[in-house]
This record gives sequence, C-alpha cells and structure tokens, in this order.
Amino acid sequence: MSDKAMLEIRHYSKSYGEGKKAADDVSLTVMSGDICGFIGHNGAGKSTTIRAVVGVLDFTEGEILIDGHSVKDEPLACKRVTAYIPDNPDLYENLTGIQYLNFVADVFNISAAERDERIRKYADLFEITSDLGDLISAYSHGMKQKLAIISALIHNPKLLVLDEPFVGLDPKASYTLKEIMHEMCAAGTAIFFSTHVLDVAEKLCNKVVIIKNGRIISSGSMQELTEGHSLEEAFLEADSDEK
Amino acid sequence: MKNEILLLKTLLLSTSGRNIMKYGRDKKKRRKILWGMIGTGILYALLIGVCAVMCFGYGTFGMIDSAPVLCALMISAMAFVFTLFKTNGYLFNFREYDMLMSLPFASKTVAGCKFLYMYVKSLPWYLCISLAMLAGYGWFARPHFLIYPVWVLLSFFLPVIPMLAASFLGFLAARISAGFRKTNIVQTVLSFTFALLCFFMRFFIEKLIKDDQVEMMLSRVSDATDSAAGFYFPARWFARAVTKGSPLDILLLVGVSALLFAVVFRIVGSSYRNINSALKSHAAAKKYKMTAQRQSSVLHAIAFKELKRMTGSTVYMTNGAMGFVLAVLIGVLVLVLGLDRIVSTVTNGAPIDTGMLQPAIPFIVYFFTGMYATTASSPSLEGKNYWIVQSLPIEKKTLYRGKMLFNMCLGVPSMIISTICLCISAKVPLPNAALYLILGFALCAFSTAWGCVCGVRHMRLDWENDVEVVKQGAAVTIYILPNLFVAMGLVVLAVILGMRMDHRLLALAAILLVSALAALCYRWVMALAKE
Repeated sequence: MSDKAMLEIRHYSKSYGEGKKAADDVSLTVMSGDICGFIGHNGAGKSTTIRAVVGVLDFTEGEILIDGHSVKDEPLACKRVTAYIPDNPDLYENLTGIQYLNFVADVFNISAAERDERIRKYADLFEITSDLGDLISAYSHGMKQKLAIISALIHNPKLLVLDEPFVGLDPKASYTLKEIMHEMCAAGTAIFFSTHVLDVAEKLCNKVVIIKNGRIISSGSMQELTEGHSLEEAFLEADSDEK
Repeated sequence: MKNEILLLKTLLLSTSGRNIMKYGRDKKKRRKILWGMIGTGILYALLIGVCAVMCFGYGTFGMIDSAPVLCALMISAMAFVFTLFKTNGYLFNFREYDMLMSLPFASKTVAGCKFLYMYVKSLPWYLCISLAMLAGYGWFARPHFLIYPVWVLLSFFLPVIPMLAASFLGFLAARISAGFRKTNIVQTVLSFTFALLCFFMRFFIEKLIKDDQVEMMLSRVSDATDSAAGFYFPARWFARAVTKGSPLDILLLVGVSALLFAVVFRIVGSSYRNINSALKSHAAAKKYKMTAQRQSSVLHAIAFKELKRMTGSTVYMTNGAMGFVLAVLIGVLVLVLGLDRIVSTVTNGAPIDTGMLQPAIPFIVYFFTGMYATTASSPSLEGKNYWIVQSLPIEKKTLYRGKMLFNMCLGVPSMIISTICLCISAKVPLPNAALYLILGFALCAFSTAWGCVCGVRHMRLDWENDVEVVKQGAAVTIYILPNLFVAMGLVVLAVILGMRMDHRLLALAAILLVSALAALCYRWVMALAKE
C-alpha cells in the first residue's frame, strides 16, 4: 500500500428540504492501493456520498479531495483521474457498444493503440467482444453493466468508484471484476465501492466504512473492524449499538 | 472545443435514426424509423409549401420587401415557443446526467452542448421556412446574387437568440425552483407563468403600439411585421442585412448570437450542478404512518397513475396541461373583460358581431382543450416501465380506457368552465348553452380517443428523454398538427354555417357527427388493444 491519499472526504454533509441530512459530517480517507467497502442499509446515504465524490451531486458542507484536488473547485482535474460505475448505468442506448467505448476514450484522450489494447483485453475478459457492434438498447442489464465497467477502466483511473457493482453481473463476471480490482489495487489504484454483499466486501476489501442514517458509525481496516468475527457480525453489532 | 464537438456529435448520434437503421437488428423498429423519416420529410415539404405560398402572396400584393422581416419573425417565434416547452427536459434533469457529469466535462460544456443539440435538431424546420421564403423573395425582388449566401448564412443564426432567451427563462424557472422543497411543482408553475406571459405578450405589445398612435399601423400585415421588427432587433438586423447587404447588421446578428451564447452558458454553467442536484435528488421524509387504505377500481388506479406521471414531469405538465389551463384562463378573461373587447383585441379592431361567434363557441374552446391529448403521449411515456403494466393482470383495453379517463378528467372540467364563461359573456340562450356543453363533451371524447389511436399506433418506448415523446414524438405530431388546423377550420365553418342556419340545429348536427367520430376512434382503440 502507498501512503498517498487518493480520496479524502472531510466533514461532508448533504441536506435536502426541511434540513433533513442525507449525509451528516462524513469523513473518510482512501489511500492509493486501498479497496474500501462502503456498507450500510438501503437509504443510509451511500449513493448520495458516492455521487458527491464523482462530482455529480452538489454539496454545501465539507470538502472532498481526489488526488489532492478539490471536487468543488477543480472538478475537471478530479474527474480526469476518476472512473465511476453507477448502480444502474444509463448509457446511450442508440449507440453501439464500441461507439460508446470510443466516446469515453475520446473524452479521456486515449490513443488509438491504447484503447484498442484495453477494449480487447476487458471485452474478452467479460466475454462481450462479439456484442460490441450491437446497439446498447439490445443489451441485457448485465451486459450494460459490463460495458459500463469497461468504459470505466479504459483510461486506467487512479480512483475507481463503484455503486453496487456486483448487482446484475453473472458469477463469472463478478469473479472477473474482483480479479481486476485486485490487479488495479496492486498497481496503486484506490477503489471505493458500495455493496450490500458483506461476504464480497470481507473477501475483497482491506478497509471498511459503515454508514447509517447519513452518519459513519464505524470505519477502519478489515482486521480492526472484525477482530476475529465475520464482517456480518461486526456490521450487525455496529448497527445495534447505534439504535 | 474538442470536447464540445465530441459531446455534441455523440448526443446527435445517440438519438439518430440512421444509427439504429445501420446497426439495429429489429426489422419492425427499422421500418418504424423509415416511416418516421418519410413522415418528417412530408411535414418539411408542407412547411416549405405554406411558406412559399405566403411569400407568393406577399409578392403578388407588392409587399415582398416585408418578406425578410416576416421570415425572421416566424423563425424567432417558433424557436422561442418550441424551446420554452423543451428546455426543462433537455437542459436539466435528463436521464444520462450522472454518466455525463462524471466524465471530465465542465458544467457549461454539458449545458452548452445540450442547447446546441436542441438547436441542431430543430434547425431543419427553421431552414425550411427560411429557404422557402428566400426562393419567394428571390423570385419577386430579384436581389443581388450575394444576398443569397448572406440569407442562407444568417438563417443559421436567426433561431439562436430566441432559443437562448427561452433557455434562459427555463434556467430561471429551474434555478428558482431549486431553492424549494417541492422543486418539480415550483418549476412547473414558473414554466406555466413564463409561457402564459409570452402567450399574452403579443396583445400587450399591440396595445403599446396602438397607444403610441402609430396611424393605420395594423391596417396592413406588412406594416405590422415591419413594426414588430422595430422592437425585435435581430429581425431588423436580418432584414437590413438581406435587403441592403449591410455588413454591420450581419456582424451584429452573428456577434450578438455568439456573445449571448457564451454569456448565457457561463451563467447556466455556474449553477448547473446545483440545479440538477435539486431536481434529481429527493429526500425521503420517512414520516408516513400506516393508515386505513382505500380500494378503487382498476380504471381509477390507472388514471391516478397517469396523474402522478404527469405531475412528476415538468415537460409533460407544461405541454400536456397548457391547453386546459389556457381554456380556463380565456374563459375567465372573456367573462371579466367581455367577449367584445377580447374579440376586438384578437382581430385588431375588426368589425365583428360577437353574436356571429356563438355557434363557434364549442370549437373555440376545443381549440384549447383539444390542443394536446395526453393519450397521444401516455402509451409511449410508459417507456422502460412498460413491463409493470405488461406483467399485471390488466387487459390492454382497460389500460387504454384508464388513460382515456385521465384525459377526460382534465379536459371536461376545463371545457365546462370555459364554455359556461363564454356562453354567459356572449349571452347565449340557455338551451343553446346546454347543447354547446354536450358538443364540448363530444369533442373532448373525440380528442381523447383520436389521441389514443395516435398514441397506440405510434408507441415508442426506447426514448432517452421525456421531450422525445411529449414534444417530438410521431404520435404527438400526428395528433397535434392536423387537429390544430381542423379546429381553426371548424371555428370558421361554424361561423359561416351559423349565419345561414339555426344555431341549435347546427349544434345538434355537430353533436351527432362528432359523437360518431369519437365512437369510431374509440372502437379503433379497442381494436388496437386486441392486436
């Protein structure tokens, strides 16, 4: 693990009407090479935090830094090193898979040789190479998810942010994604992802953050948090302590 | 600049029928797109024909010098109105917002490209008007050959300023509503207000001109258009550029358009994320207490679902409910100000006996209540949620009946209010008023059923944005355009026939005819439900 903070969230809060806080004083750090799992109940504030991190959602309180750049003040610098995979990717349905990948590669200014190599590699791994010439509207949910993952990996991001990435993926694709995450983490990429599947988080992550009602109720390394128990037990314990 | 071009190119490609034709495997879908293209081509040809005839009329009566101003005003008015109703769906709260904003694009780039996308998509309509009028102008005025390229070049800039003005109004509505908890409702109310203000603006402007005692100004159409150019500078710049070849006016039109674009999207970009955050994210109140539930019929449940679909979308609300709101407003205005005064304002003081208009009252009301049928867009608006109704134990005919019930629930009350107001103001005898109400009901039933025929026959579920269905869908276009012309024609026909035959007899005949047409359309919908 490197000691470079790739994602720093400092006292981030997000309020909606009537002062209701979807995220309340959230602070966490993901270092380069970390795989950080972000877990919590439905509506706990995971997606709200993730969408603020990737510059989609506006916020008023706190600060979010990516690779030392502020999401508020230097959004483009942050987005250039980040990749985001939403839980339900809304892609351009009337483009073909390859047209969409080329669009993203163009946005990140990826050379023809590099994009060719990466698209081949990841499309083969996810077994959708032969489908790339079809319109995205003809894809299944899982295939769209795979395409969104490939488009996120195409520029070799320093920070990979994923919202429930395993939902809709078949077992083989889930395994492939986990392998890719390990590979990227070894190369120094920081990964921050939300999940409900605690078994996956336990096997994959070296760091865990638990959020409830918009507030972080527990965080630390996997070892610190579990202390000989399973992550499921640690989660339920943290959850019951907060009641 | 590279990113702007790339994004615009992708936005256009992502909604291009040609891409689907080239890569899609669904033959039915490809055939639909082909027919859609042919239909659009026919509409372009119709528009060219109408503009050419208009220009020919100007030329025949020796008023060809007014053609450039008329061309500029027509394009500007169309661009303003169309953009005003589309801007909320295109610029804000669109489906792929998260995907786009997570890529390294500046907010102003995304907003600017969305505007340019809107511009490119509507440009063919404006070019049809412009080129048809250029042909007429060239035929009658025989201008210098350099005027042709200048006219064509400036045609690309003419819609920009009104589109920017409409987008800015949409931005203001979204910006103000972002500060409220009920964002959608505030945005809808503000959009309605802006649209209605623009609708009535014409009369205020004419009033101002009249108060200035400009003699005989409205006695000739060409004078009216020329005077309009007096306060709408882009039309004046265009007219001077193409009639006098003035380089200053060319520069003014091009320069001001470009400058305004830069300024507007710098302002829009600064609040873009804030607005979209407010529009796309909603707090869960978590306050609900379980109470006794009520059972309602399937039809009511579907109609209620339609209501929530409408109130949840500013674009749908402003387009779908505008006619009904206008009907009520016109009715109340007529009641308060008097039919004589309103008719005098609309016809610029033409000596029209309001008694003549009595038989046309149901059709005047229908002009507004039938302006848009929610049934034309609601089948397509199911979109990706279509699986919900498909997987439920509901017959298609029940689903369509529910959709028709919803449109009737919107149309009939507004028709009743408007008709009663107009009848009181026009001093229509009670039996005649009762017949007009029945006729109004029959017209509502017809527009609902005919809208549903269009909506079902041209159902399209694979859209990216509400606007594609609500404003630009084939079903809506096929419903709106002919219906608009027929409604206007019926008003004139009712006035003419009303002068020659008994009003009650005329109303009875119309009731029978319209009811038969409504029944026919309803049967058609039921037949489509079986397919």
